[in-house]
Amino acid sequence: MMDGPVVNEGVIAKRILIVDDAATVRMYHRGILESAGYAVDEAMNGIEALEKTLEAPFDLYVVDVNMPKLNGYGFLSELRQQEIPQQPAIMVSTEAAPGDEAAAYRAGANGYLIKPVQPTQLLAYTRLMLGEAIR
Amino acid sequence: MNRLPKNPLLDQFLSESHELLEGIGQKLMELEDSPNDRRVIDDLFRSVHTLKGNSGLFTFPEMTRVLHAGEDLLGKVRNGEMTFSRELADRLLDAMDFVGLLSNEIESTGCIDASHAADSARLAESLRALMADFPDSAKSSPAGSTPVTTKSTAEALTQIPSLTEVPEALRIEAFRRSGDGEKFHWIAYQPVPECFFQGEDPFHRARQTPGLVWGSVLPSEPLPPLAELDTYRCSLKFHLLTAAFHEELVEYFRYVPDQVKIVAVDPLWLTISGGKPENISETNSDSENITPSSLEERSPESIEESGALTRLLAVQQQILTLDDHPAWHSGRLKAVSAVLKNLAHAVDDADAEGQIEDSLAAALAAASGLPLLEWLNAHQSQFNSKLVPQSYENVNQANTEEEAAASSTGKPAADDGIKFGRRAEDNQTGPRSLKVDQAKIDRLMNLIGELVVEKNALPYLAQRAEAQYGVRELSREIKGQYSVINRIADEMQDAIMQVRMMAVSTVFQRFPRLVRDTSRKLGKEVQLVLEGEQTEADKNIIEALADPLIHIVRNSLDHGLETPDVRRANGKPETGTLAIRAAQQADRVVIEIVDDGKGIDPAVIKRKAYEKGLIDEAALERMDDRSAVNLIFAAGLSTAAVVSDLSGRGVGMDVVRTAVEKLNGSVIVESELGKGTSIRISLPLSMAVTQVMVIESDGQLFGVPMDHVIETVRVPRHSIHRIKQSMTAVLRGRVVPLKALNGLLGIPAQHTANADDGTICTAGSSGGRSTGPTGGRIQRNPWR
Repeated sequence: MMDGPVVNEGVIAKRILIVDDAATVRMYHRGILESAGYAVDEAMNGIEALEKTLEAPFDLYVVDVNMPKLNGYGFLSELRQQEIPQQPAIMVSTEAAPGDEAAAYRAGANGYLIKPVQPTQLLAYTRLMLGEAIR
Repeated sequence: MNRLPKNPLLDQFLSESHELLEGIGQKLMELEDSPNDRRVIDDLFRSVHTLKGNSGLFTFPEMTRVLHAGEDLLGKVRNGEMTFSRELADRLLDAMDFVGLLSNEIESTGCIDASHAADSARLAESLRALMADFPDSAKSSPAGSTPVTTKSTAEALTQIPSLTEVPEALRIEAFRRSGDGEKFHWIAYQPVPECFFQGEDPFHRARQTPGLVWGSVLPSEPLPPLAELDTYRCSLKFHLLTAAFHEELVEYFRYVPDQVKIVAVDPLWLTISGGKPENISETNSDSENITPSSLEERSPESIEESGALTRLLAVQQQILTLDDHPAWHSGRLKAVSAVLKNLAHAVDDADAEGQIEDSLAAALAAASGLPLLEWLNAHQSQFNSKLVPQSYENVNQANTEEEAAASSTGKPAADDGIKFGRRAEDNQTGPRSLKVDQAKIDRLMNLIGELVVEKNALPYLAQRAEAQYGVRELSREIKGQYSVINRIADEMQDAIMQVRMMAVSTVFQRFPRLVRDTSRKLGKEVQLVLEGEQTEADKNIIEALADPLIHIVRNSLDHGLETPDVRRANGKPETGTLAIRAAQQADRVVIEIVDDGKGIDPAVIKRKAYEKGLIDEAALERMDDRSAVNLIFAAGLSTAAVVSDLSGRGVGMDVVRTAVEKLNGSVIVESELGKGTSIRISLPLSMAVTQVMVIESDGQLFGVPMDHVIETVRVPRHSIHRIKQSMTAVLRGRVVPLKALNGLLGIPAQHTANADDGTICTAGSSGGRSTGPTGGRIQRNPWR
């Protein structure tokens, strides 16, 4: 599943991991991010995400809340305990349940978006979190 | 919404739906055998949740509605608030069959037929009824006479985060009204921080929301300490509950569609009582519809990014203030510092990286977010500066003293070096200015006002010196001194008035953005021409000018200038021109707002005025076009029907006229049908010139505008004659009628004579004849 580094105007594309159990959502997010030239990888749950991360850490994580095996909070709090470069994470949730957003931040997310995510919004967050010059 | 690769995504959705539906069916049957199997319940919930989430990516409300209800129901089962039952399984299976039917239909036709809406509503309702019936399992009516406080309704609350804010009595009342078929809408309105520069009045807008039932004002984010509060930015948001129709609301908020979120209120939501406060605070996150816009011609992406930057900074701040200490605390700090570095990089702050590293090291050592938080607070302004559009830099320069003052308290020691350096430069460059509290200027104005009046006692004194004491020498000297003092006082008054003078550019500078934003929203091409921005007038005049001008400009954009299509069809250039010109003419400031739009049709205005009873039939016939067009300023014309037609702010052009007249100005409009409209406002240069003579009568104070006062005369009692019922006096050979002030004002008190048995008469002019209200005591303070 892992894409090779995509060469984009002579720069190695930033790598983003989409963590979601819904294939449709993964595809949707992938479509948005790939259209902007990012190298996207996917994981179906927190465990798979953690495995992929430990293989090669990503520059940004886009994480669903509700997933089997290890949910989004679990993945983030594990991620934040790993001895790897800590990179930004966006938590994506289907309409905020009470306390969702604060829980996301406590677990280690740096941003929070509501599904369905607006493409422009996801890209704005992504660009900023990856340090790309504001337009 | 621009969905990405549309068909593949839809295909993916459908195939995943089939898979999930199959799984859901199996698990429901599994549960019937072992209703307490947590694993199965969890899986079931997640499947429905996923399915609902997926359907949300498309516009399939019929499907989403049912799935949402199913998810809520299973959520309750999962949380142990409900037990799994055969009936529950049956209804869920029914619902899932329906979803399967819908997805088959999507597969074959690409959409869902509208005929399914009723079924969808019915199924969702039956699922929700199951929840409402629980736990008392009594067949309580769906109206739920007892307030329902369940997890699922609490979840519904997250969509309507603050319905709990609404007082219960109002909610119940609204619930009752919705039973009668009324529809309610919930509005989250978050004005952009720069809205004041766009001529917006968010409070007014919120207050005037049609059908408003209830509203609240909240800080849009935690308010900073007072010293750091930027009063030029709007930091509030509004929550409104209204009974108006959706279209009406969309129309009403059409200038700020990106700042409002309008949600139809499900009557059930109104029955929720006492949601927890945290339910409210956690859910205001959706910045998805709320994006700061900006003056510059910026892409939607750029606007989106500005909003995202603000939001992300606030989030990092929030994370750094978390007071828990989980095992991943240091990892969390590192992630925040990574985000901050990247954000700083995004706004091209080269120095930030090292500073953040240092702060992170300190934070890790202290196991606290504080050092990073300090860095962030200290650099907030640098980030903000990136959010401020280029064209505003002029404004900002004008405001630098203020900003420096505001930020000096919060600025860290690191900046001190630069500050010292800058001081030296300050001395060399630019005109030096001093920011002074307006109250101090006002005091000066009042004092000079008193001086101007007080000095007028000197000629009187000189007269007395000569007439009463026979000292002609002294009299002459007093008169000599008087002329000196008079000159100085005049100059001083002029100088103080100069201090109050402001260039109209302070008002004009908001127009580029207003025009750009508004015309874009209206789909029009408009070129704005500003002239005479350096024209100066009194501060009060300039400030009072802003609202009428904005109103006129909005009207021009909304109703004057045509869309490019129409303009092309009429043989005009596609881009309309809106010119705002200011100039000084003698002692007046004249401002013209000229557009080359479609003009005002005098026939329409005349007819409307006639319908409203503002003019009679004869006037209708007689009135020339020029007078007719000026009827737009008539008060009666802008009743509700016309208001929405003429302006977007719920006020008519009569408000413009009222505002201008309050400033002692005048406004006229000239228009040529098809060619354009020109509105000309003429105002005095200074409001301070409109002096008022204050008269005391029967213990009350009255002001007479000095413009209407020709002179004041002290008339001895024996010089007042009675002709028939009226009093008269002879003034320089002319008979002047005298009117008692008390009589004119309907005050029952007798008029009183002065200490020396004289009566003060004030001569006013009306239609060329002098009349004189009499019998008051003139007070000294003459300034408005």
